[in-house]
Amino acid sequence: MLDLVWLIPTLPLAGAAVNLFGGRRLGTRAGWLGSALVAGGFAVAVAVLLDLLSLPVEEREHVVHLFDWIAAGSFSVDVAFLVDPLSMTMALVVTGVGASIHVYAIGYMEHDARVGTFFAYLNLFVAFMLVLVLADNYLLLYLGWEGVGLCSYLLIGFWYERPLASSAAKKAFVTTRIGDAAMLIGIVLIFLHFGSLDFADVLVDPEAAPGFARPTGYPYTVIALLLLAGAVGKSAQLPLHVWLPDAMEGPTPVSALIHAATMVTAGVYLIVRSHVLFELSGIALTAVLVIGLLGAIYAALASIGQFDIKRALAYSTMSQIGFMFFAAGMRFYAGAMLLLVCHAFYKALLFLTAGNVLHGLHDETDMRRMGGLRAQMPVSAIWFAIGALSLAGIPPLAGFFAKDHIVAFASTSARDLAWVLASVGAFLSALYISRPLFLTFFGARRAEAPAHEAPRLMHAPLAVLATLSVVAGAVLGLTAEGRLATFLEPVVGAAEHGAGAVSEGLLVAISVVLAVAAVALAFWVWASGRVDWQAFPERQPELAGWLSNAFYLNALYAWLVQHPGKGLGRTLTVVDDRVIDRAVNEVGEDVGKASELAPVIQRGFVRGYALAFLLGAVALLLILGLRS
Amino acid sequence: MSTPIAYFLVVSAMLFAIGTIGVLVRKNALIIFMSVELQLNAVNLSLVAFSRMHNNLNGQVLAFFSMVVAAAEVVVGLAIIVTVYRRRRSASVDDLTVLRG
Amino acid sequence: MAVDTVVFWVFGPISVGSAIAMLLQRNAVHAALFLVVNFFTIAVFYLVLGASFLFAVQIIVYAGAIMVLFLFVIMLLGVDRGESLVERIRGQRVIGIVLGVGIAIELIAAVRAGVGFARVGPAAFDAVANRGGNAEAISRVLFRDYFFPFEATSVLLIVAAIAVVVLASRRRRLTTRAEVVAQVPDEEAA
Repeated sequence: MLDLVWLIPTLPLAGAAVNLFGGRRLGTRAGWLGSALVAGGFAVAVAVLLDLLSLPVEEREHVVHLFDWIAAGSFSVDVAFLVDPLSMTMALVVTGVGASIHVYAIGYMEHDARVGTFFAYLNLFVAFMLVLVLADNYLLLYLGWEGVGLCSYLLIGFWYERPLASSAAKKAFVTTRIGDAAMLIGIVLIFLHFGSLDFADVLVDPEAAPGFARPTGYPYTVIALLLLAGAVGKSAQLPLHVWLPDAMEGPTPVSALIHAATMVTAGVYLIVRSHVLFELSGIALTAVLVIGLLGAIYAALASIGQFDIKRALAYSTMSQIGFMFFAAGMRFYAGAMLLLVCHAFYKALLFLTAGNVLHGLHDETDMRRMGGLRAQMPVSAIWFAIGALSLAGIPPLAGFFAKDHIVAFASTSARDLAWVLASVGAFLSALYISRPLFLTFFGARRAEAPAHEAPRLMHAPLAVLATLSVVAGAVLGLTAEGRLATFLEPVVGAAEHGAGAVSEGLLVAISVVLAVAAVALAFWVWASGRVDWQAFPERQPELAGWLSNAFYLNALYAWLVQHPGKGLGRTLTVVDDRVIDRAVNEVGEDVGKASELAPVIQRGFVRGYALAFLLGAVALLLILGLRS
Repeated sequence: MSTPIAYFLVVSAMLFAIGTIGVLVRKNALIIFMSVELQLNAVNLSLVAFSRMHNNLNGQVLAFFSMVVAAAEVVVGLAIIVTVYRRRRSASVDDLTVLRG
Repeated sequence: MAVDTVVFWVFGPISVGSAIAMLLQRNAVHAALFLVVNFFTIAVFYLVLGASFLFAVQIIVYAGAIMVLFLFVIMLLGVDRGESLVERIRGQRVIGIVLGVGIAIELIAAVRAGVGFARVGPAAFDAVANRGGNAEAISRVLFRDYFFPFEATSVLLIVAAIAVVVLASRRRRLTTRAEVVAQVPDEEAA
């Protein structure tokens, strides 16, 4: 069974191929095919997992070699898949959530003309993501990494006739490219220092790797920071986060799958997978922590300022991933992974429910024009509430366990400032996620047109995700050493829980109180009608501006990058015109002028021709004479 | 004979050169033709001189044949010039520029 | 001083001088006459070099027939008018003269290298090559060793004669525009 792991990415890949070439003929059936294949991948993944669980703990690491890929001198890389707890966790999340979203998308994209292509891209994305998480070496991982970047570009800009969509797609690709380039350099350095790109050689025991160079802090820090750059780009953390809000121009299932549940978590996966390298360099690990924490708080504040529901959710994603980075930075990898899994469930749920709202309001995304929708969309309201409360950390929903473990770990790891900030972050996340819940479904009705509930097909996957959002936390991570943590231990090691200043029970109580308070505050501000939140932008235009424009980072980047870029473009245009074009044109003109000289010898004068004869004869004589 | 053969050859060379210049510089077709005849004669002279040098008559016989052919050539060439003159009313070679590029 | 040397040094300059004079004449008739002088000097050279038969043939054929033919045509066509002195091809004159001089120099250099200015012809030329007199000696060579070329040249002459008759005849059947135009004023030139 373990050896069938190659089926997991291949099934969606086949679906992509079929849908790419025959999608137009299949129509909506393309969606069923795509969903079936991803579900098939999920089934295989479950089978592989069961097989893995049947092995003793020390042996839960199996490499399935498919074929030799590159063999160039001392550099050889194979296409091989690694079956171990970490990769299987990711694979199950990707296929499981992916299959649900596929089914949802059948209904959502029903009326789109290019639905076949859509599912082809979606399947292709799942295939690449699975290659990414199942790879057993850095190069294959990078292949998947780039592949999901490509699919993200294709899917964000799926409605390419809309200029906003196509420019958002470009922005996403270019911004992540910066991280990807750094990551590639990091991979090259890994090869230079370790002589191999296989995880087995690089990550298990650096001291025993072939081509081992004497470990000094320097190369490890550089490598780790470069990999971190790649993760920052792909996971939309500071400072490469600017593409994520704009990526919401894509269809909602895309936002759910790629920009909430799977692709943006690839960065977290990379860090957790490469934790050996990060731990060897203290600076890199601290960087992960700081980036995560700062990003979490920044994104939380930005989310509160957004009026577009999808953008609010996008910043929420960035904030949650910031928490995951934060956990990883504290070496609490199991905690990061638990949050990753639970986040996949409730964020997908939130996005898809938002999709229901869009579907019902005919693509209206501005929350100022929503409100009180729970009357017309009661089921969607329930889903959204479940997802929001789970994210907020209300027990016993999944998010509570995930978030609480991380915050508690922060307090026990002798980082008091981090704990305080993490708690602030947790409070803010409860606040920012309740806001769209109350703005959309509660309060006074501000929408003009009547809204209709989504068809049943679109509710089925939501039910699955909602259930998972409720129970997953308790099942997988009831305690900090819960099932998921023990499962992942062979790969990520056991987290060291120190003794904190505060007792655990008190910590839990504080978390719950903060979460409940945040939800209540959100209700009071946005749903109760007692606070005139609509007047806020007028009364405090500066503060509102800072929040809704995400602290103007976009504008800053635009100024920093576009100005020199345009200047360079103008300079190059001048160079192209005056130098290159001139050179080419002058060559052409010279040829023309030269050809004007030619007719001189063909003017028709016989005597001229005779002169030419004589010239040749004299020259010939001269040569012959000189030779002898 | 006590004059060195080379002297005759020098005269021949000079006559040939003058004939060449005549072909190139003059525009009248007839004068060009006459320059060609001059060249032919210069060559005949050198042939006879060489015949003397080599102590046989091959050079002289060749010069003889050259004269015969020159005669035939002059006849045909003049006929051509007459025909051209009839068409174009001009004996200047510079007016015959049909072969231009 | 031998007779032939004197003759050479008298007729050599005349030969070259008449050639140059022919070159410089604007009037075609004058040029033709200078050429006749040149042919005479060459005939004398032939005589000095022991080719008495060619001496006679040169005068009879070249000076007597060919140049007369030239003069016929010149006067027939009325081209004894001077030609214009303007040179339309740039540099033709200069390059032509330079090249002509260059040819002369090259040839003289070749002569010097090959023959040498000292070499005099064999003393026994009259006895060996011109046995029995130049005419008999030539006929001996001509009709034995060069018989086939001899017959070929006769054919050549006939062909040339036919060619000239064809060329010179006016074809009245196919009239082109040029010929019509040329015909009208040609009546008096015919």
